Amino acid sequence: MSDESKKEAMKQLRAERKSSIQKAAATVKQQKKELKLLKEHLTGDGATAPEIAEAIGINVSQVIWYLATLKQYGEVVEGTKDGCYFKYQLVETDSAEAA
Amino acid sequence: MADGQTITCDALVVGGGIAGLQSALDLADQDFSVVIIEKDLSIGGKMIRLSKVFPTLDCSSCITTPKMASAAHHKNITIHTWCDLKFLNSSDGIVRAHVTQKPRFVDEDKCIGCRKCEYACPVYVPDSEQGGFCATKAVRIPFSNAIPQVAALDPEFCMLCGKCEKVCPTGAIDYFQKPVDFTIEAKTAILATGFEMTTIKGKPQYGDGDVQNVITSLQMERLLAPHGPYNRVLRPSDGMEPDSIAFVQCAGSRDKSMGIPYCSRFCCMYAIKQAMLLSGSLPLADIIIYYMDIRAFGKGYEQFYQNAKAMGIQFVKGKVANIQQADDGAVAIRYEAQDGTGVTTENHDLVVLSLGVFPDWSPKGICPVSTGKDNFIQTVQPSIAPTLTDREGLFVAGAAAGPKDIVDSISEAGAAAMEASNYLMALGK
Amino acid sequence: MTDPKEKTEKAESGKSEKIGVYICYCGGNISDHVDVEKVRDEAEKMPGVAVARTNSFMCSDPGQELIIEDLKNGLIDRVVVASCAPSLHETTFRGAIARAGANPYIYDHANIREHVSWVLHGEKATFKAEKLVGAAVGKASLLQELDPIRVDARKHATVIGGGIAGLKAAKVLAERGIDVVLVEKSPYLGGNAARLDTIAPFGEKSAALISELAEDVLARDNITVMTHSKVIGFEGYVGNFDLTVQTTFADAADHEQAAGHYIPTVGVITESATEHIIETGAVILATGFKSYQPRHGEYGFGENSAVVTLPEFIKQMSEVDPSKTELEIGSRKIRSIAMIHCVGSRQIPGIHEEDEDGYLNEYCSRTCCSAILHAANQVKEIFPDTNVYDFYRDIRTYGRGQEELYDQAANNRVVFLRYSAEDSPVVTANDDGSDAPLKVTVKDGLTFNEEVEVAVDLVVLATGMEAASIPELVSMMKLPVGTDKFLQEIHPKLAPVEMAVSGVFLAGTAQAPMTIAEACNGAAAAAVKTASLLSKGHVELDPYVAEVDQNLCQGGGACIEACLADGALEMQDVKTAEGTVKKARVVPALCLGCGACAAVCPSRAIDLKGWSLKQYEAMVDMIVAED
Repeated sequence: MSDESKKEAMKQLRAERKSSIQKAAATVKQQKKELKLLKEHLTGDGATAPEIAEAIGINVSQVIWYLATLKQYGEVVEGTKDGCYFKYQLVETDSAEAA
Repeated sequence: MADGQTITCDALVVGGGIAGLQSALDLADQDFSVVIIEKDLSIGGKMIRLSKVFPTLDCSSCITTPKMASAAHHKNITIHTWCDLKFLNSSDGIVRAHVTQKPRFVDEDKCIGCRKCEYACPVYVPDSEQGGFCATKAVRIPFSNAIPQVAALDPEFCMLCGKCEKVCPTGAIDYFQKPVDFTIEAKTAILATGFEMTTIKGKPQYGDGDVQNVITSLQMERLLAPHGPYNRVLRPSDGMEPDSIAFVQCAGSRDKSMGIPYCSRFCCMYAIKQAMLLSGSLPLADIIIYYMDIRAFGKGYEQFYQNAKAMGIQFVKGKVANIQQADDGAVAIRYEAQDGTGVTTENHDLVVLSLGVFPDWSPKGICPVSTGKDNFIQTVQPSIAPTLTDREGLFVAGAAAGPKDIVDSISEAGAAAMEASNYLMALGK
Repeated sequence: MTDPKEKTEKAESGKSEKIGVYICYCGGNISDHVDVEKVRDEAEKMPGVAVARTNSFMCSDPGQELIIEDLKNGLIDRVVVASCAPSLHETTFRGAIARAGANPYIYDHANIREHVSWVLHGEKATFKAEKLVGAAVGKASLLQELDPIRVDARKHATVIGGGIAGLKAAKVLAERGIDVVLVEKSPYLGGNAARLDTIAPFGEKSAALISELAEDVLARDNITVMTHSKVIGFEGYVGNFDLTVQTTFADAADHEQAAGHYIPTVGVITESATEHIIETGAVILATGFKSYQPRHGEYGFGENSAVVTLPEFIKQMSEVDPSKTELEIGSRKIRSIAMIHCVGSRQIPGIHEEDEDGYLNEYCSRTCCSAILHAANQVKEIFPDTNVYDFYRDIRTYGRGQEELYDQAANNRVVFLRYSAEDSPVVTANDDGSDAPLKVTVKDGLTFNEEVEVAVDLVVLATGMEAASIPELVSMMKLPVGTDKFLQEIHPKLAPVEMAVSGVFLAGTAQAPMTIAEACNGAAAAAVKTASLLSKGHVELDPYVAEVDQNLCQGGGACIEACLADGALEMQDVKTAEGTVKKARVVPALCLGCGACAAVCPSRAIDLKGWSLKQYEAMVDMIVAED
């Protein structure tokens, strides 16, 4: 389809999916905010999920969910063990991009 | 595929799990043409989602992926994933199926499975392929060894931001993809529609799904799997490595109050297997299985059970009365021990429920094949021809005809393929 | 893109310089113990290696795709895969190479799972993995393209055993258009099932099931039934077996009924054919099981006639007069019965008594729980006043309709007592003054291990299944047998009805205890594999066979003396410039590829394709090479 008609079709699709798009956008906004906070606390030797949760005021189960996710996408690695918990560290930016 | 198209073949296999794949391969190897339709984004069924399998402790992928690959590359097999079966019937030697392929919003022919879209997508979505323990993206390859290796976009979570479209090297993203209706005309069909497991929700005595660190056995499979969410076993509430893990057997089976009076057949063995794998990865952890009867009936199963006992896994005979949240994310299990100690409460870091197994597909309103009072597909000669349904030309294999472990499903799938072959021969193919 | 075929041909003059090495993590199965990336780094440095890659599952589609892409792009012309045992996935990787348009035999396999990560840990594991990969690389550098040996396959199968599984296999194969000979050692068809009355859990008459199958089998033109017969000779190879069958009429029962009739407790009587050499393409073993026979004194068996096995009890029950108000067996009133599970099954070393060969049946016999509950229900439903006490370890009513038997038994007021293997019930003579001859004592796990005593008129032992005794077949056909003495399949999931001997399949309880339904599924599954194998009219065999260099052969004949396979090597007259001389010749389809000939040839004229001495030397060189 031509650029023009595609633009029009996209517009229409956006209108159709308005509510789910809004919901997704709100989710992304929240995720971005929380991930930014979380990553700020992953510098240096890293930290455990409860330590991060305590520091940034997010539920610890949500923190471990983010950590597991970032690990899947190569942005975080598991570090040393601290008691019953593992520390998590940010991957150097270069390799994160490569991943 | 074009909307309204009709595909013809000798045999239709409904379900691309291990039973369906085996049936398809056994038919195709005899030069019958086979079409597999699968409701999911990938073939492989429950088995490809498992960690290791009893009693050999082979990794599940090692057994499943080659069968998936040989089906996918077989000259006599065509696979359609992400399909809904709308109608299926057989009469006068013709099996007709109406199928709707749902939109993936990705062109299956163009996608090369590079995952660039997935990395570019900004929306994190709970990953049901990982028990919800981590996120995937709104557009993603379903899982690492999925077949086909084709991305799919979930419109529920998509913002239409266009990032995936921009990075796709082959122009495969198609936001406007529509469902495609097509017809399959075969001569016979094998129903290999598999099973599903009940959820924790709706079981107040087991915490209704609100008690942290109470997980399902399929979630435990993910925790133990090589590509699991944490790559190790951690409890999901806070990422702690558990010291004490309990399995609650018959949590939904053999219990009329749960709606499932029958035995779910393979839970004893997978609980023992999971316990063994846990004791390998967490050698210091206490592992307890609460059970009524251990049903280790298959070849090599009893020896597997005795090995587990010898490894120090504790087997406690007692019916679990209820499960509640204890302090610091722990889970309190109250049970009546049959050794005379009476009602006891024990705390664990992580609790796995062996939930009930029920049919994943109901033919009601789609296909005139009968079901039993257990809702699984009814077979008419259960002893000497266990794969025959009450509709001529329609056969059943695997857990669609009652809970069945992988070994028994594979055997039955071969049997269904044999009966279907002979039905085709009788039709004069 | 370069044509990979052209590449391999070019390399034939010397060693390949384009070896691709593909190392599998196997999830964590390998990578938990082997430093896979280090092995990759080392492999990359090995002579001739062009690329070395890793993948979490090399057998998955994305994993196979790596190999295919490299072949198609001309990066490689030899393939080494380091993963699990080749018995699991050799065919998988050959298939991938063939899909890339290359010859599937340009590939060698290093087993770094079963031979490494499952038995070694840490540096040792990584070291051994490197060595095995090195050996495979050394061999791969000298691999040649080979073609499989294609031989005609007879569209004919032989089923050994005329029980339920054998009948089912014969029936479905014949329906598929394959000629079948069914060989049964007894005069009857029906096997062990003929001793049963009704079948748990659905209650069909065993006689009806057997008759239905047997009538079908006897009516088919393309099935030859040979009763009173046993297989005494086995020769040939997949697609072309010659079986010698010996038929003896001496033990034929003296029955007046005509062939095709069902005779209670034994089965359908048949007339026997007299054919003696069967030319067949595949063999299905449906040799069945035998019932466990309790030791003298085991739960009082043999010491007291009121202790019987379940098959005996089933026979007694089928003769009982149901119109009586009380259960009477042989004019003895039976008011109270004890049924004991797991007799001869689930035996535990150190607890149970071994047999004279020091052997225990450690497995579960799978069928007895449902069978004995079915019997208990029959008793209670006809004679509600008869007390039934059920002594069990675990109730294993796992299958469809089976849990209902258990519920029904509870509703029928069968009394359950749970025992542990350490404290099995004790059966002794009753001395409480009542007329019940026996008493059973047990620590009941359902009532806090209290000691309970029950006086009974009859004890029924739920005896399990044992592998049928077929030592002649096992040694003649070189059949693998498991530690449980049942015949052993190649792999429970990948090849569940296939045996290591190509063209030989397993059906029913020859493999393990199973129900009639499961035996029929196993039989049909074996039949479908047989049909796939034979329906094409030919089979392909691996080309790993001996090859004679006619220029070097001196005609000494040492190879023929050493040869383990009859007819695989022969002398032929060859005309040369110096006149007619004798030279050895290989019959590829019969050659086992064992290499015994290569070892004895004084002039090194005979070698194995795909496993040549030079290739072995290259492997050894790589193993002993200093790092």
